[in-house]
Amino acid sequence: MARRRALLPAPTPTALTAGFWKAAAAGRLVIQRCDECGAHRHTPTAACYRCQSLAWSWDPVAGSGRVFSYTWSHHPVHPALAPLGVYNVAVVELDGTEGDPVRLVTWIESVTPQTLRIGLPVEVLFERIDDEIGLPIFRPRV
Amino acid sequence: MSARWLDRKAALVGIGHTAYGKRGEFAARGTFALACEAVVNACEDAGLSPREIDGFSSYSDDSASPAALASAFGCERVRYAGMVWGGGGAGMGGAFLNAALAIASGTAEVVVVTRAICQADGGRFGQALASERLPASLPELSFTAPFGQLSAAHMFALAARRHIHRFGTKLEHFAEIAINARLMARANPLARFREPISVFDHLESRLIADPLRLLDCCMESDVGAAVLITSPERARDLRHPAVLLAGASMGSPYRWGQGWMGAGSASDDDFTSAGQRTVAEDLWRVSGLSPADVDVALVYDHFTPMVIFGLEDFGFCRKGEGGPFVEGGRIRLGGALPVNPHGGNLAEVYAHGMTHVNEAVRQLRGDASNQVPDADLALVVAGAGPTPTSALLLRR
Repeated sequence: MARRRALLPAPTPTALTAGFWKAAAAGRLVIQRCDECGAHRHTPTAACYRCQSLAWSWDPVAGSGRVFSYTWSHHPVHPALAPLGVYNVAVVELDGTEGDPVRLVTWIESVTPQTLRIGLPVEVLFERIDDEIGLPIFRPRV
Repeated sequence: MSARWLDRKAALVGIGHTAYGKRGEFAARGTFALACEAVVNACEDAGLSPREIDGFSSYSDDSASPAALASAFGCERVRYAGMVWGGGGAGMGGAFLNAALAIASGTAEVVVVTRAICQADGGRFGQALASERLPASLPELSFTAPFGQLSAAHMFALAARRHIHRFGTKLEHFAEIAINARLMARANPLARFREPISVFDHLESRLIADPLRLLDCCMESDVGAAVLITSPERARDLRHPAVLLAGASMGSPYRWGQGWMGAGSASDDDFTSAGQRTVAEDLWRVSGLSPADVDVALVYDHFTPMVIFGLEDFGFCRKGEGGPFVEGGRIRLGGALPVNPHGGNLAEVYAHGMTHVNEAVRQLRGDASNQVPDADLALVVAGAGPTPTSALLLRR
């Protein structure tokens, strides 16, 4: 995991997204939630898709979900990434959010091509980069 | 907008392209020179001088600007300049829609749609993500690249994997798209990949982003292409019988955003699609036509599954049945719906969809290498992925 972290680019926080990355650095998964109607949304944006309100807050969520889709990357897009070898990229759909599905691009720890499957229940864990940035990643839920 | 408002209001009168090079092959010439050569060739095909061009339309932040092109060719005046948002080849049909609107409204008299790609100038997509600080101006990239979603193949694989999961689509269905492209390219002497392949070759080709293999992916190319559009009245005096626009559309469905180039909040049906359901609805509505009217389909084939998903989105078969639809030779020459008779992105060249339009024009003129007999109506589907994607219908 550390090697993966070192080889891939870090997020660049912005005014809208800094709270997400900072919470992950502190070991919390937060998702934008509309102050007016309660709909969750991701990736962060300035307006609510459901009621068009501009008021929102970060909502701590439990961080459990299911694998919605995944791929195993075999071909390094850059020679510098060759040490990554074969790795997975997954989309996880979170449980218990309000409104349209909330999905994150992430990766799944502790799985093999034999065990990673669509529908696999997963839970969040965090890869801390520094005080301002962490990455929410997932592992099979036990 | 009422049906058929744009029907026969704009004519495609000249097609042009450069030689088809592999990525980096034309680096010494550069992107702008490729664009200029394509424009010259399209004008030669039409029997017009580049000086007569007064409108410029492109997509994907193409670098050959109207300012540079009009100056280079000494155009008398510029009356129209339009750019469609979004990357890759998704906006290609939108650039033709913009051009047609400029012609139909009298805004301009001769519009050229251009796209030129020289990878050495622009850099490779995945490598740029992996090697540079992620731009604050594109915050969504920070939600994908740090997690290893770096290339187009990674993104399209997510859609393909879930389509397989939901509908039982087979790798052999993806293989058929690649096999058909190579078979078609055998008659196209300009095509980059003319060696026939088998299902075995496909399934044995190396994994890129599971379930996508090497032969599911088109190859980046150095190429320029251009198409000239004018009024049907003006077209009567030009070199070839005019090919007329029957309709065009661009867009994306609810909460598509950048689709699976990001996790998205689109519906499950749209996630397992080419994101072209609403573009198709609009195309059939504005044209007053239906899938049954189409004689030949030019479907953007950057990755094989997107042809299958596109055929579903455009209503040639039901949702989820695109895999079985391509079985049995249906999309091959002589089949019920020939797809990409020029070889497409997969076998001819990857020109972000422009060569699909060129081929549609040849089919409707009746002078294609793999001519579909009596082709009267061609569907051209642009790239899946970004917002907006797009499509056009051309008739003779």
